[in-house]
Amino acid sequence: MSTRCVFTPFNAEFPASNYPQLTLSNRRPVLAFDATTDETCYWTSIAPQGLTGALTLVVTYAMASATSGTVGLQAQIEAITDGDSVDTDSATSFDAVNNSASTTVPATAGFIDQITITLTNADSIAVADYFRLSLSRDADGSAVADTATGDLFVLGVELRDAA
Amino acid sequence: MAALTDQDRQRVTNGLMRYWSQLIEQVSGVTKSDVRAAVNAADTWADDNQAAYNTALPVTFRNNATTPQKSLTLAAVVLMRYNPELLKDIFGNLD
Repeated sequence: MSTRCVFTPFNAEFPASNYPQLTLSNRRPVLAFDATTDETCYWTSIAPQGLTGALTLVVTYAMASATSGTVGLQAQIEAITDGDSVDTDSATSFDAVNNSASTTVPATAGFIDQITITLTNADSIAVADYFRLSLSRDADGSAVADTATGDLFVLGVELRDAA
Repeated sequence: MAALTDQDRQRVTNGLMRYWSQLIEQVSGVTKSDVRAAVNAADTWADDNQAAYNTALPVTFRNNATTPQKSLTLAAVVLMRYNPELLKDIFGNLD
């Protein structure tokens, strides 16, 4: 298993609406995902040389205020290969959603936990693809139970492969 | 005054969670549904005890103040007890 990309809050990109706030928690940059509205952000990169096999995402987070309950995250990959016919001016082509498990939050707000999401649906990503990673909190619990109150702070995201 | 609508109760619930998150204030041992149940209970209590509160007010104020003014009076007293900083944000000053 190898680390292929690391994404931090300051590298995040945002949709026009319903995105996490880029803020600071004790001077640490975090993306604050709301507890009631599903919010999404993206990271863009080029699939690095050596990327191979099944991908997993490891999301490092802490809760702003909650000490009990669960959270659910969702990740998607959009991979565009040289010569593909995706019109990047106007279209997106994310693969199907990958759900995390419904994960119990740490018993103390501010303590870190890591959630692993298996990227079964990875849009056939291959070396040198231009790709985007989408990360959302399923705050309304439509796919993954999410019962914890308050914001979920994402501190960093690691993309791993099978090598 | 009628109890809040379901949507308004949810708005209060959402606002409370966002407020506590902004303060990085730990909310121990409760989930979203627990916060919502508390909002429901507080709203029901306010509804059930509206007449008693009105009766407790001095007659001149009771007969002349509007319902929003009486409501703000109660909210201000409770905030002064437990969250004077928030009350200061509302009033601009607490002198």
